[in-house]
Order: sequence, then C-alpha cells, then structure tokens
Amino acid sequence: MSTGGEKGSATTKTPADFLKSIRGRPVVVKLNSGVDYRGILACLDGYMNIAMEQTEEYVNGQLKNKYGDAFIRGNNVLYISTSKRTLADGA
Amino acid sequence: MATEEESAVKEPLDLIRLSLDERIYVKLRSDRELRGKLHAYDQHLNMILGDVEEVVTTVEIDDETYEEIVRTTKRTVPFLFVRGDGVILVSPPLRTA
Repeated sequence: MSTGGEKGSATTKTPADFLKSIRGRPVVVKLNSGVDYRGILACLDGYMNIAMEQTEEYVNGQLKNKYGDAFIRGNNVLYISTSKRTLADGA
Repeated sequence: MATEEESAVKEPLDLIRLSLDERIYVKLRSDRELRGKLHAYDQHLNMILGDVEEVVTTVEIDDETYEEIVRTTKRTVPFLFVRGDGVILVSPPLRTA
C-alpha cells in the first residue's frame, strides 16, 4: 500500500489519463517518420488522432512549415511529449 | 442531443468536419501533398477531394557531385478519392487574423 512518489497535483495513472491531462498544453509530437510537430494540443481521441494549434513542422530539426490547425492521423504517432517551450524558440 | 454545437472541436475529427467544402492541405506518405476542396470524408480519413493539386517531392543524388537534387512534380486532378491509410496530416485553410 505504500505508493510514494506522487508528484504533486495531477495524479495520472494510465496513459489515457495522461493524454486527457495535457490538453491545451504545448507539446511535441514525433511521428514514425522522424518529423516533429510542435504546437498546442487541442484534443485527441482513442486512435491517437491529434488536433493541434499553432503547429510548427520540424524536419531534421529545421522548421519546414507552419499550420494554424493541424489534424495528425494517429497511426503515424511515435510519441507525444509536453514541452515547456512556448513558441519560436529553437529545439 | 438535439443541440449540437457545430463549431465546437471536441475530437480531432471535428477539425475535418469543419473543413467540409473548404480547400484543405493533406500531407501523404511517400512525400506527396494535396491541396483540394474537401467534399466528403469518413472515420478512416478516406476523402473525396475536388480540384486537386498534387505535389510529389523526389530527392535524387547526382552521380558525380553527390548533390541532392530536390524535384517537385505537380499535377492537377479534377476529382480524387484518397485512401485514409496514406494520410499523415490534414490542415484546414489558414484562418489567420
């Protein structure tokens, strides 16, 4: 019963809980192809389809494209990571 | 559920629904890009696009200088059925300002 190490506020227990908790946060989404998308996570669904805002597309670390809104099909997603970075910073 | 808010984006596919009859940008596998008017779609992201411009990007290596040569090939198609599994990203027209 001794489950120490809860880090403060949001007690996320499952991956799905984590995903719910990061809506509206700045995230980095990496695809299987290696392309990164940085932006604000608008929402996502059970397929890991993702809607993002203010999305920036990075290929090999270089900014290649910007999208106001972007839908990413879930099957391409390698990982979703929260980022502290706001916008326009480098890697 | 009679009163559904049409403009609310609650799930990612709502973004696509709101783009119906608009010109969208679609990024596909194997370095293909499409721009066209979205006529219909389903949950797989199968899509019917109209007045489509397809851009195919190829990178060749020059035999002698080993330079990368990036080529883009464009073509237009009046109507296109896109199978959903090739889709990477869909972006509605830029709603700036």
